[in-house]
Amino acid sequence: MKDEDLLKDEKLEKVLSPHPLSFMKYQSLCIFLIVWGVLVFWLVTFSEYRGMIAIHEWTPIILWGVVLIVAGIAASLVAVRWSIFFLYLGIFLGGVGLMLWQNWISTAGSFIPVYMIAMSILGFLLVEWYRRSHKYIISNQRLIFKGGITTKEERTLRYDKISDLNAKQGIIGQIFGFGTIIPISQSGFGLGSDKAEAGGGIMLGEKKAKLFGFFGGGKEVQTPRTRSYYELHGVYPYKEVKKLVEQMVQGSVITPYQKEQVAFQKEQVDIQKQMRDLLKMQSESKGDAKEEGSEET
Amino acid sequence: MEGSPIDIVIFAPLAVILGVLLFWFIQLLIIEFEKYLLSKIRQNHEPLCRFTNFLGILFQSVCHALGYTVTKSGISDFYISVNYGRVAPKRKKTGIFEWISNSFLFIGPFFLPAILLLIFLFFSKVTFEVMTPSQLLEVKYTFGGQINTFGSSLYSFSTSFFHFFLNIDLFHPGQFGFMLLLIFLGMGMRPSYIGEKKHEKVDMFYDLKNIWSLIRHKPMYILLLFLISYNLFYISLIFNQNWYVALFSIFGWLSIIAIVSLIVSTMILLLIKTTDEIPGKIKLLPYLALSIFYVLMRAIFFYYPVENSNMISLAVMIISTILITYLLLRLKTNKFKSKRDIKSIKKKGKGGTDEG
Repeated sequence: MKDEDLLKDEKLEKVLSPHPLSFMKYQSLCIFLIVWGVLVFWLVTFSEYRGMIAIHEWTPIILWGVVLIVAGIAASLVAVRWSIFFLYLGIFLGGVGLMLWQNWISTAGSFIPVYMIAMSILGFLLVEWYRRSHKYIISNQRLIFKGGITTKEERTLRYDKISDLNAKQGIIGQIFGFGTIIPISQSGFGLGSDKAEAGGGIMLGEKKAKLFGFFGGGKEVQTPRTRSYYELHGVYPYKEVKKLVEQMVQGSVITPYQKEQVAFQKEQVDIQKQMRDLLKMQSESKGDAKEEGSEET
Repeated sequence: MEGSPIDIVIFAPLAVILGVLLFWFIQLLIIEFEKYLLSKIRQNHEPLCRFTNFLGILFQSVCHALGYTVTKSGISDFYISVNYGRVAPKRKKTGIFEWISNSFLFIGPFFLPAILLLIFLFFSKVTFEVMTPSQLLEVKYTFGGQINTFGSSLYSFSTSFFHFFLNIDLFHPGQFGFMLLLIFLGMGMRPSYIGEKKHEKVDMFYDLKNIWSLIRHKPMYILLLFLISYNLFYISLIFNQNWYVALFSIFGWLSIIAIVSLIVSTMILLLIKTTDEIPGKIKLLPYLALSIFYVLMRAIFFYYPVENSNMISLAVMIISTILITYLLLRLKTNKFKSKRDIKSIKKKGKGGTDEG
């Protein structure tokens, strides 16, 4: 952050970026691509099942695609994000397209691992690019969140506007000492919602008399969640940063006792002002009376 | 039936129990050495130590939870972190149930990782020569006879296991996975762990003290355990089916797997500790040698096949890594140097500073 971007009396405390392993959920998608690519190579070339796989030139491709898509569906269901499925589907279709275009179908066993490794390297680079696009600035007056690859986003949060701090550390975070801190503002910024829904239906009767019933329900729970650009995502060293932010928030929050004191002081100042005005008026009226007396004499 | 009645009735059942205890003690000694190495490398490898702590706590918590499940106490709370694990029962049971769940907590972490590895081995189509009770028919029901049978059973298992282990193919995904699991489980095979801050009292004696207090707290249960073991022996004797040795042999197998796992992970920790003494990036060379020499040897044997190529590749990999580490230590540090060498280094150093 440049000095000209700083406000009056503002001092930088820390400039942070997410830890390289803090986006493990994306990196694990790339790791799976490498592992599955190498496994396909082993299955086609060295394993005891290679004869079975070699019955048709499309068998390794179908096997590769089925596992990739099933893994994509499973990961999408776990993460509640269908983009993973479409990503894996895209990789599969891209690979098949490339093989058809270049006529590499017969050498699929060698092409698939190379293609998968290339795709995962690309994936790792994209994740790293995304990680580096995050910048968190902790100053003595505010928190600044900067990010974005193409569109630059920025969020500024004054400490006195933070009503709550949510901090979480997963197992990898505990091992490597990083964690995520979500500042929740008074307006509710930093909160997301978990929604659970249930539905069911009943159908009775066989030929004529039919009874159909449907029941359902939904539940929504507010939970601290926001985009990685608007939280201190995977910051290292977690404990130190958490303490610093908490201190800053505490330092900016006015306690009820302090509030009472300020109100009392304000009252005192008002009284003193009134007294001063009264004295002024009194002295003015005395002066006028003296002037009148001297005129009479 | 050979052997004196006292030998058959009193001493013979003790034989396999003592055998298992001996293996368990060896396991405990290696665990102690592993903990010592971890405490030495902690400063430079905090994440690795935290990871091993997590594994240790995971096994402890899982064993404790298993204890509560077996005793039908139920689990109301299950929490694990890198430094702390908590398992709370739904219903607090006392007496023998409490004792059983505590036994799971203190003794389970020694065997649970080995059980996982044994299951992995059986699923990975590795053929093992295992002596079944019917093969043990000619067994003498004496102390010596029981020890011999126990030893033979372990020998036949060890032969198969070591044959598999020494010929392990690290290019085979399943076998590579087994190796990774062996290393990771070996690092977490601890009844106690080094927490966030090092506790001096958490050592082998601390573990033994825990187990001793478990025994002393309820001596009747230990007697009951012995009584069950003795009864099993007598039943085996009456039916002339050596189920007794067969059952304890499983504990023996688990101990062998656990000891191998501990030795491999200890070797890796030792390599980490040794390379930490080498300054600069060159300390990564032994780790590179590990993979490069293995791949190189496998590539050579792919084109010029010989017998036991996997074993030779592993041996070359290990020897070359040791040699490179030794050379680096000798060249880059004061280790393995005679007094004369050190004097010459000091002279050189003085000359260098004078010149400087």
